[in-house]
Amino acid sequence: MGKRRYGALYAWLALAPALALIGLIVVFPILYTGYISLTNMNIYHWFTFRIIGLRNYINALFVFDSGFLSALGVTALWTALNMVFQLTVAFVMASLLNIEKLRYRKVYKTLLMFPWAMPGYVSILLWRNGMFNSQFGLLNQWMERLGLEPVRWLSGDVSAFLSSMFVNLWLALPFMILIMDGALQSVDRSYYESAVIEGAGWFKRSVSLTIPAIKPIIAPAVVITLFTTFKQFDVIYLLTRQAGARTGANLHTVLTYAYENAFVTNNYGFSSAVSMILFFLLIGFSLTTKLRARRAAQ
Amino acid sequence: MNKTAKRAGLLLLNVFFIAVCFGVLVPILYAFSVSLNAQNSILGTDFSFIPRALTLENYRAVLFDRPVLLWLGNTVTLALSSVCIAMLVAVPGAYSLSRLRFKGRKSVFNGLILLYSFPAILSMFAIYRLLSPIGLINTKAGLIIVYVGTMAVFGLLNLKGYFDSVPVEIEEAAQIDGANGLQTVMLILLPLAKPALIVTGMMVLIYVWNEYIYAITFMTGADNYTLAAGLYSLQATEMSGSWPVFAAASIVVSLPILAVFFATQRFMVSGLTAGGVKG
Repeated sequence: MGKRRYGALYAWLALAPALALIGLIVVFPILYTGYISLTNMNIYHWFTFRIIGLRNYINALFVFDSGFLSALGVTALWTALNMVFQLTVAFVMASLLNIEKLRYRKVYKTLLMFPWAMPGYVSILLWRNGMFNSQFGLLNQWMERLGLEPVRWLSGDVSAFLSSMFVNLWLALPFMILIMDGALQSVDRSYYESAVIEGAGWFKRSVSLTIPAIKPIIAPAVVITLFTTFKQFDVIYLLTRQAGARTGANLHTVLTYAYENAFVTNNYGFSSAVSMILFFLLIGFSLTTKLRARRAAQ
Repeated sequence: MNKTAKRAGLLLLNVFFIAVCFGVLVPILYAFSVSLNAQNSILGTDFSFIPRALTLENYRAVLFDRPVLLWLGNTVTLALSSVCIAMLVAVPGAYSLSRLRFKGRKSVFNGLILLYSFPAILSMFAIYRLLSPIGLINTKAGLIIVYVGTMAVFGLLNLKGYFDSVPVEIEEAAQIDGANGLQTVMLILLPLAKPALIVTGMMVLIYVWNEYIYAITFMTGADNYTLAAGLYSLQATEMSGSWPVFAAASIVVSLPILAVFFATQRFMVSGLTAGGVKG
C-alpha cells in the first residue's frame, strides 16, 4: 500500500514539469479565450470590456454576414478536396513506386520527400514570390512563352483557392506517399498472387484487395492529416493575406478568419468566440473518430 | 506479355518519375538557380534552370549585408534550448503515462488528446496577456516557454505511444537481474525507443525553426528575430527589388533543416506512427 502511494507520487512528479508548461501555454489560453468570448473586448473596449453573455456566439453562428459560416463552408470544402486528392494521388504514386523492377525507386522517393523536408514557410514564400508572382513569377513567364496572357493567380477567390490547394497538396503529399508506400510494403505479396492468376487487373486488385488491406494501416495517418488540413493556416495566410501584402482574394478558412478578427480588426471577444466554437468542433471530430476506431476494432 | 513491351513499360515508368520529380522540385530549383544567376533581369522571359553566368554575390549579400547570421544564432539558441527542455520534460512524463499506474492517468491522457486539437495560433492573444505582465515578451525565455509548452502535448503523446509499443517484459527481466528503476529506463527503454526520441526531438526542432507568427509578434527589433521571422520580414519589406537575395536566403535557411531531415528520415515512419500523432 505504502509503496503504491509512493508510486503515484513519483508518477505525478515525473509528469509535473510537462503538465505545468502545458497548463501555462495550452490550458490557460483556452480558459482565458473562453472568458473573453463572453465579453465585448475590442479596440474600443480594451480595458473597459464587460460580460455580454453569448452574443458573440450568436453573431458567429446565426448572423450570416459575420463571415464565419462561409469560412466554415470553405474550410469543409478545402478539407474534403485536399483529402480526396491526397489519398488518390498518394495511392497511385505509391503503387507505381512499388512496381517490381523499378530500379531507382529510392532516388525518386528521396527527391519526392523534398517538399516535406523544406521549411514550410520557406516553400510557401517561394511559391508566392517565385511561382505565382504576377510580374516575374515562373508560371507567368511560361504563360508568356506559350503566348498566353499573364494570370493573377492569387487575386481571384477561386484561383487563389485552387492555387492554395495546389501548394497544400505539394506540401502534404510526401508524407502521405511515405505512409502509403510503407503500408503497401507491409501487405503480403502472396495475397496478390491468386488474384493475378485469376487475371484481375490493377484497378480491380486495388479496389478489392489492396485498399481493404492497407486501410487499417493508414487510418491513423489519414485522421491526423484530416486534422492538419482543417487547421491549415500558413498556406492561405502567407499566399494571400500577409499584413500589408494582400493579393486581393477574400479567401478565409476558419483559422485565418479567427486570426484576422483578433489581430487585424482587433475584435477579440468575437474572435475568441470563434476560437471556442472551433475548439468544440475539433473535440467533436476527435471523439467521433475515436469512437469509430474503437467500433471498427471490435 | 512479351519482353519488349515490358521493357518499354518500365522505361515509360522511369520517364514518368523523372518528370514528376522535376515538376515537384521546380520551385526549389528555380530559387536555387535565380540565387546563383549573375544576370537576373527581373522581367526577362528567357529564364533557364542552368544559369548562364554564375555568381555568389546574392549569398554574400545574405550573409553579410543582412543580419542573417545574427538570426541564425537566435534560431539555433532557441531551437536547441527548446529541444533540450522539451525532451527533459516529455520523456519522464511519457514514461509515467506509459509505465506507471496511478489514479488520474487515464484522465490526463484523455485531456492531452483533447488539448491537442486546439490550434496553437489561436492561443497567441491569451499567451501575450499572460507573458507581458511578467516581462517575458520580447525575450528568448518567453519564446522558449511558448514553444516547449506548445510541443509538450505532442511530445508526451508521441513518446507515450512509442513506449507502449516496447514490450514491458524486457524491463521486468532487467529488474529481475537487479537493475534499478533508473537503470532500466536509461539502459533498456530509451535505447529501444530511439526512433521516437529522435523523431520527437526533430519535430520540436523543425517546429521552432519554422515558426514565424509568434516570433514576429513577440519579438521587436530585427536584432531579436529568428530566421523565420527575419526571412518573413525580408520578403515583406523588400521583396520586389531583391527576389534573388530572397531566393539565396531561402536556400541558406533551408539547408540545415534539409540535412537534419534526411539524416533522421529512416526513423520517421516508425517514430511517428507508433504514437499516432504528427506535429
